[in-house]
Amino acid sequence: MSELKATPQTSLRLRLLVGTLFWIVASIVAAGWGLSSLFRQHVMVQFHSELRTHLDQLTAHLALDAAGHPVLSQALSDPRLKRPYSGLYWQIDRIASDAAPANAAVLRSRSLWDQTLRIPRDALADGTLHQHRVAGPERATLGMQERSVQLDGVSLRLAVAADEKLMIEPIERFNTALWLAFGILGLGLALAALVQVFVGLAPLRKLQAALSLVRDGEALRLEGGFPKEIMPLVEDFNRVLAQNAEVVARARTQAGNLAHALKTPLSVLANAAAGKDDPLARQVLQQVDNARKQVDYHLARAQAAATARLPGARTPVTPIIDGLVRTMQHIHAARGLELRVQPVPSDLSFRGEAQDLQEMLGNLLDNACKWAAHRVEIEARMEQDRLVIQIDDDGVGISAEQRQAVLQRGVRADQQAPGNGLGLAIVADLATLYDSPMTLAASPLGGLRVSLSLPAASRTTR
Amino acid sequence: MRILLVEDEPTLTTQLAESLRTAGYALDTADNGLDAHFLGDSEDYDAVILDLGLPQMDGITVLQKWRAGGRAMPVLILTARGGWHEKVAGIDAGADDYLAKPFHMEELLARLRALIRRAGGHASAELRCGPLALDTRHSRASVAGLNLTLTSHEYRVLAYLMHHPDEVVSRGTLTEHIYAQDFERDSNTVEVFIARLRKKLPPGIIETVRGLGYRITCPN
Repeated sequence: MSELKATPQTSLRLRLLVGTLFWIVASIVAAGWGLSSLFRQHVMVQFHSELRTHLDQLTAHLALDAAGHPVLSQALSDPRLKRPYSGLYWQIDRIASDAAPANAAVLRSRSLWDQTLRIPRDALADGTLHQHRVAGPERATLGMQERSVQLDGVSLRLAVAADEKLMIEPIERFNTALWLAFGILGLGLALAALVQVFVGLAPLRKLQAALSLVRDGEALRLEGGFPKEIMPLVEDFNRVLAQNAEVVARARTQAGNLAHALKTPLSVLANAAAGKDDPLARQVLQQVDNARKQVDYHLARAQAAATARLPGARTPVTPIIDGLVRTMQHIHAARGLELRVQPVPSDLSFRGEAQDLQEMLGNLLDNACKWAAHRVEIEARMEQDRLVIQIDDDGVGISAEQRQAVLQRGVRADQQAPGNGLGLAIVADLATLYDSPMTLAASPLGGLRVSLSLPAASRTTR
Repeated sequence: MRILLVEDEPTLTTQLAESLRTAGYALDTADNGLDAHFLGDSEDYDAVILDLGLPQMDGITVLQKWRAGGRAMPVLILTARGGWHEKVAGIDAGADDYLAKPFHMEELLARLRALIRRAGGHASAELRCGPLALDTRHSRASVAGLNLTLTSHEYRVLAYLMHHPDEVVSRGTLTEHIYAQDFERDSNTVEVFIARLRKKLPPGIIETVRGLGYRITCPN
């Protein structure tokens, strides 16, 4: 039903995947960032508390010798302080005072080797701690803690510094491991989401497959079990299908009943008027004939219109042709015609109602039998996914202009070109309902060739 | 020729009966499926005109029961149901011809004649036997081109014999086929008709086979 076709929305699968992936990435980034900053903070606190321990030790061991120079009463314990450029340093500066001029690096750790630290000169209250970042040996950046001490009138600035690499390296190692782990977690979650979407939407694909079976006429209803979220939809759809079929059947029956109820009185009227030669009788006969044509025409239309768009119909061609040929042989027995059916592939099926196919082919064959001199030929074949049925006769045929007139829609039954009866008009109309072009041509047998190109049901057998 | 007409619409039955009797047929009628089945099963008809929409038992069932019971008389279905699927179903149930209502009486009569003729294996509407010709279209007989004046009963006797040439036909069979069911039958009247026919026909055409019945033998 092309008029109901809407532009398709983004695929459900894509929506689910994009949504899930967005949240996976967002939560992993947030968690990673949080964990990483926690760890960084922890390492920094650790770093500075270590510096402070060293500074406290330095302060504790500080003394003045007899000359008033600061000395350490005891070496600091950390071996890194003895290894040159190990990354851990201390230094003592003398602050200018009345007793002595300022002197940088009056005492320093061996690890500083030939370097001195440039300690920012700021005034400090006694005992308070200052933190700095300063340049150190080998272009390293150092984290520093310093405090000033008054010892027997001598002001000293004590500083302990450590390479920030000692702090950054574990953070970097931790971050690498963290993002690797979160990357693997994210990948796993994404895969899980993919599988879930795939598995979760599988019933929809099954539903689609079941629907296409119905559309191709291979099933009359949606078959199979579905999850309980979809089952109501399936049941409703099946109900609609059943209701549709019932409505069609009822429409058919009622149209048929009306038509048949009219025909017996028409017969009575026609018989009453037959054989009398007065104007009234002639008029009655003529009008009865018109009425009969109209009833046949509209009955066929009503029945076909009800079903042409009904999904789920599939009609094998061979039994229909065989039945009609048997019938023609009886009805046209007096004409002694030869009806020849070319071998029909047994799997050929029409996508539509059996009655409609019978009505179309019946009228075409009847017409051919009426006009044939000796022979009628029927052929059914597949041609580019269409079911083509072709009927030839060896009668007088009809001219090109008359063919045109027959195919024009809206030509009224009683205005038909002579010599083609009502049959072709009905067939042309039914064929239009099935979007099936009917073509008329000259037959190689000498008469008329009628070809119908009908929708074929797919060849797959259930 | 004796016909069974099965039709439940009384006006149409009257019209059909009139036309069929005028055409020279002996006629029985039934207006429901059960009577129709009984008559077709017990009587010997040369043809049946059968409506499909019948009370009590539908026409297709009646036909199928006849065929299942071995009744082979030609049956013409006359019905308002004119769809091709209905025609195919009718033919497949055992009908020999199918005519949809409304119909032209001439066409019905022509199809009936053709049906009876085909049942007897005759191809033409005119049956010949030497100089004797039977025109089934006009219910007339002629000898060497000269029309004979026959009563309807005489015509029926002659027509039945002509449809079954070279066959011995008993008096009983003739009685069956020239009278309608409700007619007062008397097989002696057959002898009267035969005697009258012999006077009008060239001598020797109708033979009496002693103890069995009558026979028309055609020269050549």
